Amino acid sequence: MRPRLLSMLGAVALLVALASYPRLASSYHLALGISVLYFTVLATAWALFSGPTRHISLATVAFFGIGAYTVAVLGEMLPWPVVLATAGVIGVAVALLVGLSTLRLSGIYFVIFTFGLSELIRQLVTWYETNIHRSVGRYIFVDVTQEQIYWQLLALAALVVLIGWLIGRSRLGLALRVIGDDDTVARHAGIDVTRAKLVLFAISALFMTLTGAVMAPRWTYIDPAIAFNPVLSFEVVIMALFGGAGALFGPLLGAIPLVLLFEVLSANFPNYFSILLGVVFLLIVYALPQGVIGLVRRPDRHPVKHAIAASPAPLAVIGGARVEAASLRKAFGGLVAVDDLSFVAAPGEIVGLVGPNGSGKTTVLNLISGMLVPDAGALRVDGRDIAGLGAHRIARLGVARTFQLVRVLPSMTVVENVVVGLAFRRRPLWGEKAHAAARGLLAQVGLADKTDLPATQLTYIDQKRLELARALALEPALLLLDEWLAGLNSIELAQGIALIRSLRGAGITIILVEHVMDAIRSLCDRCVVMNAGRKIADGPPVAVLAEREVVRAYLGEANA
Amino acid sequence: MLALDIFLSGLVLGGMYALAALGLTLQYGVARIMNLSYGEFLVAAALGSYSLYAGIGVSPMVGLVVVMPVAFALNWLIYRILLMPLVRRAKNRDVLEVDSILATFGLLFVVQGIALVIFGGQYYSFSYLSIPVSVLGSTVALNRLIALLFAAVIGSAIYLSLTRTRGGTALRAVAVDPVAAGLVAIDVKRACAFAFALGGALVAAAGVLISMFLTFNASMGVVFTMKALIVVIMGGVGNMLGALVAGLLLGVGETAVARLLDPGLTLAATYCLFLAVLLVRPTGLFGRQAR
Repeated sequence: MRPRLLSMLGAVALLVALASYPRLASSYHLALGISVLYFTVLATAWALFSGPTRHISLATVAFFGIGAYTVAVLGEMLPWPVVLATAGVIGVAVALLVGLSTLRLSGIYFVIFTFGLSELIRQLVTWYETNIHRSVGRYIFVDVTQEQIYWQLLALAALVVLIGWLIGRSRLGLALRVIGDDDTVARHAGIDVTRAKLVLFAISALFMTLTGAVMAPRWTYIDPAIAFNPVLSFEVVIMALFGGAGALFGPLLGAIPLVLLFEVLSANFPNYFSILLGVVFLLIVYALPQGVIGLVRRPDRHPVKHAIAASPAPLAVIGGARVEAASLRKAFGGLVAVDDLSFVAAPGEIVGLVGPNGSGKTTVLNLISGMLVPDAGALRVDGRDIAGLGAHRIARLGVARTFQLVRVLPSMTVVENVVVGLAFRRRPLWGEKAHAAARGLLAQVGLADKTDLPATQLTYIDQKRLELARALALEPALLLLDEWLAGLNSIELAQGIALIRSLRGAGITIILVEHVMDAIRSLCDRCVVMNAGRKIADGPPVAVLAEREVVRAYLGEANA
Repeated sequence: MLALDIFLSGLVLGGMYALAALGLTLQYGVARIMNLSYGEFLVAAALGSYSLYAGIGVSPMVGLVVVMPVAFALNWLIYRILLMPLVRRAKNRDVLEVDSILATFGLLFVVQGIALVIFGGQYYSFSYLSIPVSVLGSTVALNRLIALLFAAVIGSAIYLSLTRTRGGTALRAVAVDPVAAGLVAIDVKRACAFAFALGGALVAAAGVLISMFLTFNASMGVVFTMKALIVVIMGGVGNMLGALVAGLLLGVGETAVARLLDPGLTLAATYCLFLAVLLVRPTGLFGRQAR
């Protein structure tokens, strides 16, 4: 606890020192201090959202302008705290509106939407001012001194850094790292991706709006062109990227030098400012993709903390789920991938889903795991209809999966990969408990001595083991394995089969898509055979694989 | 008659949007560059056309012959010099998308800055062939009709060469899958550079044609980028016919809002249309569902 106490004391001392700056500074230096602070808040708030999600938001000035305009309209009527609160509410409301409509889609729509957002709001405000208010500009008479602006900004800066720090240590922070690494894995680990992004975007927008509100009294006159100047959005992105959007203090590192640089540039080359800004920005994008902080940060940021030799903890017997698919159908355009498929898997049963390539097996798994929504038919897990529920909710119901092409989270260590599975399930584990449980699971799949390696350094089979451990971390009642045994050599295959068999003891229902017939024969209680989207056979493996139609589907008419 | 007026003006405007969107869908669909500076090139072409006409009396139609090849060459150079390093460094498509957004965002300010230094912030327009013509009882300026005609000719030429020629097929193959295209001996890098340059030439053509009948200034690029992007998304990325329909739809819708409600609300109308499409059909009106 001592180092933390020291750094907290240090932070307080720094704040006090910074707060006394206006007493010492000339008015020019105070103005400079205000610029540094407000860009620090904006860039940090920007990176809070855009850093982990990699969704570039180009709408900083939209929120900033909303804040400034709220002050212009309400500043004289209401007490200052109420004005700030109103601005914050409007900013968050707009952020939620934008986020709800775009964040559930791919990132590019979000970027495009934010790209024009400030222009849209500027035009709307202009339209309102000319048609309803009957004058485009407004005077701001709010009695706030420069010192007070400085102190408010300092408080905002401290708050945004504090919140960023807290998020970084929370489950939300972990969720965002997973989303940044692999959206699909995030959903299948039980993370509500849209909500996590939305929350963060709203927090980020709140700080931008408040900054705009606090800064508004610096102008005595504003009009939409001043309040919604797109250059501001641009400057904020430059600063955050220059410092490094991936780290909490990156934007701060970027804001200080660039505010000074822009100050010099705009004073000396006012007409060429935008060109120079563009050039500086391009240089940063090309030369410093990770930002300044990327240069100084050690490449190995995962020190081996506690190398406790974990022993395989036997899986808790949680009981398997009963799975029922009834007349399931999924088409992609004209191609019907799954056609009127019905089958049942009893609790604790291991069901093999087999069939020639392209017969729709993976699509069935994708329908069950919520990656795809069925066009028709019912899909019940323990009697509950899960069709169209969304992957994260299905995952929280205890449905876990592995992927045909292994998906480990590349920026994380082996143990962190498993913690992801533990942290967002129905009964979440977090902190030391989660780490201990993760180590137990890793020992279970045979990775006890590799827990602190970066996940990308594992061999192919070990990455498959890791993926299985992450799936088991969800405490699944139903486990979906998509060609988990494919590509293994004969020794690895024997180990893999033994591993899956060991899960039977925990009573988990398993549906596996597999081409390795030995595995199917030795593992499966029952086989569902598919061809061209339809079920052609269902029964014990040995009997089913001998059926005439199954042989025909695999080997052609001549061998049937 | 108002309805016909709106329809005709909307058609002309929509034709311009469709042409610009066609270029953007080439740049984004084939070369995988999300070009945020796209509209700046449209404005630059419009300003160039203005200078040619006002300075040395070259008509915009002749101006097209000058501006389009220049834009092609310029965009080709931009791709080779500015964007190739990003393409090479990108590990996957998502990274390239983010990097290209950032790089072209920077480019936007450079191009706009240069245009502002040369032309300043004032609005430009020139009266070229603004002779009223009667179409089905409604009156339209001749320059608008000519612009529409040219857009139709250029658009059809591009469409036909993309769908009917070997080179066009190669571009479409790269759009679908760059890796697989490389495996069947298509020079992907060249195809991308060509598509990007061609997209640049198309947006320049749109700029010249728009300059014939709209008032414009150096800082209007963002709005045009926005509209082209929205048309591309509404039509479905990579879908040329979709871009055409969406462009015309947007043109007519916007004109209707400008005439019936308020010209200040056109962008809001555009956004509403965009949102509606996103909410109902996230892959675009004619986009195929991603597997």
